Amino acid sequence: MFSLLLAAALAQGPIAPPPGPPAVPLLVPSADAGIPDAVVPPLPVASLPPATHELFRRIQGRVAQVRIIERRSGTKSSIGSAFFVSAKGHALTNYHVVSDLVLHPEDYTAELDRGDSTVPVRLLAVDVASDLAVIQVEAPVADFFKLEDGEPPQGTRLFAMGNPRDLGTTIVEGTYNGLVRDALYERVHFSGAINPGMSGGPTLSGEGGVVGVNVATMGNQVGFLVPVARARLLLDGALKLEAPPDSAALMASVREQLLANQQRITDRLMATDLPKQALGEYRVPGRWSPFLKCWGDTPHDPETPYTVTSYQCSSEEDIFLSSSHRTGVVGYLHQHVTSQKLGAMRFSALYSTLFSQDPDPVSATREDVTNFRCNSEFVDVAGLTVRAAICLRSYRRFPGLYDLVLRAATLNASTHGVDTSLTLGGFSAENARKLARRYLEGLSWTK
Amino acid sequence: MDEVIFLEVLEGDAVQARHRLEKLPVTVGRGYTNDVILDDPKISAEHLRVERREDGAVVLRDLGSVNGTFNVQPWARLAEMVLTPDARVALGDTVLRFRPRGFVVEDTVVNEAAAAPRERLFERPRAFALTLQALVAVAFISERVTQFQKTDWGDLLLGSVLPLGLTLLWAGGWSLASRIARRSFFFRVHATIGGMVLLGFALAPPLFALLSFSFSLGSGLGIVRTLLILGLVGWGLYWHLRYVTRWRGRRVVRGLVIASVGVLVLTNVSVLLGNEEFSEALEFPRSLLPPVLRVAPAHSVDSFFEDVTPLAEDVDALAKED
Repeated sequence: MFSLLLAAALAQGPIAPPPGPPAVPLLVPSADAGIPDAVVPPLPVASLPPATHELFRRIQGRVAQVRIIERRSGTKSSIGSAFFVSAKGHALTNYHVVSDLVLHPEDYTAELDRGDSTVPVRLLAVDVASDLAVIQVEAPVADFFKLEDGEPPQGTRLFAMGNPRDLGTTIVEGTYNGLVRDALYERVHFSGAINPGMSGGPTLSGEGGVVGVNVATMGNQVGFLVPVARARLLLDGALKLEAPPDSAALMASVREQLLANQQRITDRLMATDLPKQALGEYRVPGRWSPFLKCWGDTPHDPETPYTVTSYQCSSEEDIFLSSSHRTGVVGYLHQHVTSQKLGAMRFSALYSTLFSQDPDPVSATREDVTNFRCNSEFVDVAGLTVRAAICLRSYRRFPGLYDLVLRAATLNASTHGVDTSLTLGGFSAENARKLARRYLEGLSWTK
Repeated sequence: MDEVIFLEVLEGDAVQARHRLEKLPVTVGRGYTNDVILDDPKISAEHLRVERREDGAVVLRDLGSVNGTFNVQPWARLAEMVLTPDARVALGDTVLRFRPRGFVVEDTVVNEAAAAPRERLFERPRAFALTLQALVAVAFISERVTQFQKTDWGDLLLGSVLPLGLTLLWAGGWSLASRIARRSFFFRVHATIGGMVLLGFALAPPLFALLSFSFSLGSGLGIVRTLLILGLVGWGLYWHLRYVTRWRGRRVVRGLVIASVGVLVLTNVSVLLGNEEFSEALEFPRSLLPPVLRVAPAHSVDSFFEDVTPLAEDVDALAKED
């Protein structure tokens, strides 16, 4: 959910970023919390990085601004950053910076602003799950970055570069804080200001080697980078290419990546038993995998003649396909409803109202997906009767991928029950079916 | 033409005034010297005269009017015209028709009601009171049952009498129409009809919720619901109109059928054309009732998830459509 917001905010464009998620406390990995304050040895002077202005002067020309040009207006519709990584003019940036080129090649082109001149660029390869892209300019480049081989130790001082809000190339200091714990999509936590427009810029070690690619921010100095290992993988593939791929081949590679990604998530989920969470007298699917973040709440209002306890888990991360279309999401919500004061009929009215409210779907528009089609039945889940509905919609651009919503409400008692919903974004029909089935079978009643 | 003829001042197809012309000649115009006075500013003070010619024919002669006199069909200005039965002439903005005494009128319209009129349900003396009481009772119960928050007695009371107020207001409107068209208010009849329709509207949702839940009925209910609403509204309008107009029942039915087909087509035009609006909504029945009311059997988990394959084929077909 976080990077969803962030990625959109970074590609500075006319589209307003979606409203942020509700204020949720941020889980910060605290691996060092247990270590007592021992004597801090002084750092050797030699390991201190050079002054920021020196570094900046040395490498300024290796970073450029990417402009996505809308063909009809002939001017930029969004901007991002990119950096050179080969003498042949290869540069790395974010997929979300160049997504318009992949999805609407007939409407958009891209160019690089190198300070003194603008040059057209072509798109060589993308990695949607990591949010990376390789682009290339025709002319050879004299000065380019080296990708670091490994991850730096936590606390290393790093320098993020880019072109925030079209204000010119800037450099920002921050610290490396390791890979984000339990992330679905690998990200480096960078404590430093990353601002819209800096997407696709490099984050450097003091020696000037690339350790990550700027990708998202959560505000307040909480930034995220794509680990350099992912960038190296994509770049190696792109360097082997003899000719730039056409738009159909790019779309096909995006589809393959999405299919591989959903297979990876499915395998990871199916490999673990679905833990049971107690909710009243019911057992419901609990935290299925560490990448799911779970929250619970019960509003306490003495006036209300019923109680609704909610328990929800979500990957809180997604894959940016376009500014309007996200995928690669797993999320579910249980609502346990119980009442001592309401009769069976009034409880039914309450229960129906809850059952009528669906969770927010994964964002998509008419050109991305079809409408949902649903199938609803009474289902006997190991002795527990539920009213269940399963809904699917198909991806128009990526055949074989679907969004699934499973809704179910238990019907074993007249004044209490559990209403549950599962959302899977961007899965194959077979995998979605397997996961939804495992999920539904995670429902039980203890009495 | 006969000795006695009638001069009719028309308004559309209807006769606004009828003058019996017993002795000819007769003068027509705006002035008070005329036999027939017409208050149309475009008519001359002495406009025309109807008289008998020597050969016995009755003729109409323009007396040199400013704006002239016209034969209506075919349209032609005239100075003199031999009157035939049903002849129509226009002068100013007025149309006149001449008919002889021997004009044969149409057959009497046979009244479809039996000799001793059958008393209708909503004309019975107690129907009015019973309907309104039932309306209040049903409104109270449905308000109470569907309200799961802490009971607010003010809202509950308001919710129960609101339908009653609406019915009386609605009946008032129809009563005025009845009074104008038929010289009688029929207030209680209109209120009873309106109350019954509203009662139908109050009872239909729980009935459909019960059907949808107990028998696990889905999309098929949508069309039934639309037809039921149309039927209910149609029934109400039919009887309201019967007490307002003097039209035959069949004519009212024809009008209502045309109107409801029109409404159905207009509201479903996009569906009929095969255009489905893009929507993120999930369409499946949402009513949940106490478990004892369930009649439909519960399926196995296997069979429930088997249906994913046809669903996927369904949405794939949608993706290919456009």
